[in-house]
Amino acid sequence: MNALKEFFINLGLFFQGAFDMQQRSRGHIENEANDIMDQFMILCFGDYLGIDLPTSYYALELLPYLAEDLENWQSRMTDKKSIWEEKGAKLDMDP
Amino acid sequence: MGKIIFFGGKGGVGKTSCSTAYAIGLSQKGLKTLLVSTDPAHSISDLFSEPIGSEVKLLSENLYGIEINPEEESRLYINKVRMDLKKIMSPIIMEDLNKQLDAAIVSPGSHESALFDKMVTLIIDENESFDRIVFDTAPTGHTVRLLSLPELLGGWIESLMSKRKKTISLKNMIGRNREEEDPILTILSRRKENLEKARRIMMDEDQLEFAFVLNAERMPIQETKKAVELLRHYKIKVSTLVVNKILPEAAEDEFWRHKKLKEREYLKEIKEGIQADHIFEIPLFQEDMTENTICHMANFFSEKL
Ligand SMILES: Nc1ncnc2c1ncn2[C@@H]1O[C@H](COP(=O)(O)OP(=O)(O)O)[C@@H](O)[C@H]1O
Ligand SMILES: [Mg+2]
Repeated sequence: MNALKEFFINLGLFFQGAFDMQQRSRGHIENEANDIMDQFMILCFGDYLGIDLPTSYYALELLPYLAEDLENWQSRMTDKKSIWEEKGAKLDMDP
Repeated sequence: MGKIIFFGGKGGVGKTSCSTAYAIGLSQKGLKTLLVSTDPAHSISDLFSEPIGSEVKLLSENLYGIEINPEEESRLYINKVRMDLKKIMSPIIMEDLNKQLDAAIVSPGSHESALFDKMVTLIIDENESFDRIVFDTAPTGHTVRLLSLPELLGGWIESLMSKRKKTISLKNMIGRNREEEDPILTILSRRKENLEKARRIMMDEDQLEFAFVLNAERMPIQETKKAVELLRHYKIKVSTLVVNKILPEAAEDEFWRHKKLKEREYLKEIKEGIQADHIFEIPLFQEDMTENTICHMANFFSEKL
C-alpha cells in the first residue's frame, strides 16, 4: 500500500515538474488540461496499461462517462513512444 | 460494548457458529441484532435451516440476518456499468469492453471490493435501525485489508477529485467546458461521503470492535497474537476472545488427559498473553452445530453478556 501511495505522489510530482516551465498560453493550458486528464485516466484505468491498482473496481462506475476518452487515451498510451518517454523528454529540456 | 462486532479467526475455528450463537444471545437479551454473513459458502442459512439471502430477513424475535454474496454484488454492479455503456458505445467497442467487464466480475479483487462496498452500505444504512450488527467475517488477513481500504480509497478519491476539478477549471479558462454539473464529480463525492461516514463508524473504538475466535492450541495462539497486534496497528480494538471447542474433563483415558492438560496451559497463555476485555470459553459439543444445537452454544454467550 505504501508503494502505491508513493506512486501517486511521484506521479503528481513528475507531471508537476513538466508543467512549471510551460507558459500559460491557450495551447499550453489545453496541454495541461490533457496531461491532468491523462493522470486521471491512469489512476482509474492503469490496469489496462499493466499497472496493478487495488482501486480498479471502484473506477468501473466512471467508465460510462470516460469510455469515449478511454479508447483515445489507450491508443496514445500504448503508442510506440510511451507517455513516460514523452514526459521524460520534456523534463530533459529543463536547463 | 461496541455496536458493530466483527468475528475474526482462522477457517474452521468456529467463527460462523460463534457469531451466530453470539447474535442469538444478544437477541435473547432484547437487543435488536443483525447477523451478517460474508462467507460465500452461506453457512448461516444452515444454522437456521432456511435460506436467508441478500435482503435483511427476520429470523426470530429481535434477530435478523443477511448473507452477502460478493460475486453476486460484483455482478450487479458491473452489469449496471455494462448497461450504461451499451447506451453510448458502438457494438464493436462494446465487444471489447464486455470481455474486460466479464473478467472483472470473476476476479478475486472485485469480490473483495464488492464485499467491502456492501459492508459499507450496510453499516451506513442499518446502523440506526439496529442495536447491534454482528459480522461473521472472512479470515484475518482479508479483514485487515478490508479495514485498511477506507484510507487507501480515500486518498485515491481525493486525488481523482482534485485532478478532475483542475481539468474542468482549465477547460473553463479556454471556454471549453461542457456541462453544468459534472457526473464524475457527483459520483466521486457521493463515494467520498459514504466512505467518510463508514470510516467514522469503523475507526471509532466505541462503535466497532473485534471478537477473535480461536482454539486452545499452540499455532492459533501465535497467529492470534499477531493478528491482534495488526488490528491494533489499525486502531481496531480486540475486545473479545472466544476460545472455542474446549475439551470436556475426561479423566479416564491417558490420551485425553494429556490433551486436557496441554489445553489448560494454552488457556493460561491466552489469558495472560492476549489482551481483551472479555473471554468466552465455549465447550466442544458432541454434535456439529445445527439449528438445534446452536442454542446450547448461545447459552454460553448470553450467560455472560
Ligand atoms: N463448540 C463446537 N463444538 C462442536 N462443533 C463445533 C463447535 N464450534 C464449531 N463446530 C463445528 O466446527 C465446524 C467449523 O465451524 P464454523 O463455525 O463453520 O467455523 P468457521 O466459520 O470459523 O470456518 C463446523 O462443522 C461446526 O459445526
Ligand atoms: Mg464460516
